Amino acid sequence: MTLRRRRGLRSAVTAAFALGALLISAALAAGTYFSVRHFLVEQRERTALRQAFTDSALVRDNLQTSGAEVSEVLGSLSPPAGAAIYVRRHGEWYSSQLDSAGPELTAEVQPVVAEGSAALGWTDRTDPSAVVVGVPLPAVDAEYYEVSVPEELDRTLWTLAIALAVCAAVTTLAGAVVGRSVSRRVLGPLHDVASAAVRVSAGDLTTRLDATDDPDLAALVGSFNHMVDALRHRIEQDARFAADVAHELRTPVTTLTTSLSLLEHAPDLSPRTGQAVELMTRELDRFRRALDDLLTLGKLDAGHPGAEPITIGARELVVQALRASGHDPIVLTGTPPDATDPPVRVDRVHLLRAFTNLFRNADVHGGGLSAVEVERIDDLVEVRVQDRGPGVPAAERARIFERFARAGGEKDGTGSGLGLSIVQQAVRAHGGDVWCADGAIGGAVFVVRLPVATEGAS
Amino acid sequence: MERMTRLLVLEDDAGLRASLRMVLEDEGYQVLEAEDAERGLEIVADPEGVDLMLVDLMLRGMDGFSFIQRARPQTEAPIVVVSARDGVEDIVAALESGADDYVTKPFLVDEVKARLKALLRRPSMSGAPQREADVFVLDSHDGPLVFDRGAAALTRDGVEIHLTNTEFRLLSALVDHVGLVLSRSSLLEHVWERGFFGDERIVDVHVRRLRKKLEVDPSSPAILVTVRGLGYRLDRR
Repeated sequence: MTLRRRRGLRSAVTAAFALGALLISAALAAGTYFSVRHFLVEQRERTALRQAFTDSALVRDNLQTSGAEVSEVLGSLSPPAGAAIYVRRHGEWYSSQLDSAGPELTAEVQPVVAEGSAALGWTDRTDPSAVVVGVPLPAVDAEYYEVSVPEELDRTLWTLAIALAVCAAVTTLAGAVVGRSVSRRVLGPLHDVASAAVRVSAGDLTTRLDATDDPDLAALVGSFNHMVDALRHRIEQDARFAADVAHELRTPVTTLTTSLSLLEHAPDLSPRTGQAVELMTRELDRFRRALDDLLTLGKLDAGHPGAEPITIGARELVVQALRASGHDPIVLTGTPPDATDPPVRVDRVHLLRAFTNLFRNADVHGGGLSAVEVERIDDLVEVRVQDRGPGVPAAERARIFERFARAGGEKDGTGSGLGLSIVQQAVRAHGGDVWCADGAIGGAVFVVRLPVATEGAS
Repeated sequence: MERMTRLLVLEDDAGLRASLRMVLEDEGYQVLEAEDAERGLEIVADPEGVDLMLVDLMLRGMDGFSFIQRARPQTEAPIVVVSARDGVEDIVAALESGADDYVTKPFLVDEVKARLKALLRRPSMSGAPQREADVFVLDSHDGPLVFDRGAAALTRDGVEIHLTNTEFRLLSALVDHVGLVLSRSSLLEHVWERGFFGDERIVDVHVRRLRKKLEVDPSSPAILVTVRGLGYRLDRR
């Protein structure tokens, strides 16, 4: 398939304007040129004709009255500049100049003159073409011819042609400039719409087009803004749905867990009933945690403010998370104990939740937590959570952060399938990022990057 | 025979109310049920009173916030809010109204049992530094402000200032570490016996409440001071 690069709308409008200007200016230039040329040629022919009649009358009169020879008469005449006079009498050709080109130069008009009529014609035998006037002189039995080369006419027409061509070129250029300017003005609103659409597609649903008085644009602006409103409403509705469902389940789930705790401690349960209660307790606990995760995710999605952010050392935060999840803080390595603990400004509970989710993920899916490292890299703190498992295949590494995704299509997970999504949302809400990579000594490593708190942030 | 601890459960969901009653009765509480705030206030006003309260915020009729505001002047019994509302503003509003602790649904009943026990418990003396006496003069400038832990009394110029159980526990923790900074998380652990996931706003709200009772000018505290970015410190004047 051949990919043809389409010209931009703006270039097309500019080109159309330039082409239009070229066509109009070329037509005008051509019209002007040919009108002027026609007028000047006509003038020149009339002049030549008038001159020829005057000169021929003079020749005729001299030949009649003095009976002089033709050559003498021609010698006494002074023809206009660039003109030559030829006289044919009794088969002989006479010229005002020392040339014998008369028969060739006047060939066009000779037949008409021979029949007794005056004639005017053009000959290409000179450069430029010359105007030839022939006048019969029956009174002296001769034919008078005057050949004049209109060099000034040729120069005038050449100058005119150049001037008109320059004008056409300038007009074409001006057309292109006007086209560019008009396209900018006309396509400006389209550019605004395109920029706004790019921002919307990047997730900024607060983008709106400014209101306009232009009736041609008002409909577009109104429709665009309405479309973004509808899109935002729909996305919010979708995001709220899970949270609303989860919210409605809070009280019934609490009642179930509370009631089941009574059954758990009942002294007179048969072994079968005890087993059933144990199953229910386990599944209900899983359900309660999933509900809790959905509610947390709903709050993170909605950008709900959590607790007032506090400034805390990243190592201290990780130690708290390790203790909260029942791990010995001895697994924390990386930074020498005497080094400054890089401060981070965080919603402590959300970040503790994120780290404990990562530790739990290492325990449940990664064969156990092998090491946690905290390292400052310029303005960032990197926390690396290393496990002892088989690692995560490269193709799965982005997918495992999706909601309800399980590595390797695993279905019998013990968690809610939301743990890593919560990690990602919480870390991103703090201006950081999280990803999964290969561990240096095997297993998977989950890397959390957070910005270091700036001075005075507390 | 020792009097049973009277516990009010104010919850409009009959199922949850019944299940809480059964579990808490097994824990040895005398559970008094109320499905709306009016009934709850009647129980609080009863001469026998209550020792503890579990209060839902979303009730039919008068809501839980109003209940706490109206019940608080009548009793110092600790109030634990149990609610599906977990927005920042709800938690702060409930604590500002006079609640002592907050648990969001869905909760594990063991967590609620632990909260109730922690609030009933008097501060342990074993972990505190040894003192010659259990009477502390906190302010000797504007009429002596004296905290007598043994008698559970705070007096300014001989006039007693009422402390709730939680305020008493908070002041005790601070008095045990006079001149030292206590972080919010360690106060949560000391006073509320919360784990790492405790909400530090509980501490902030109670510190504000305690300041109103300790300070001459609560907006410019001289005794219970904030150490920016670290926590709180009790200074004697």
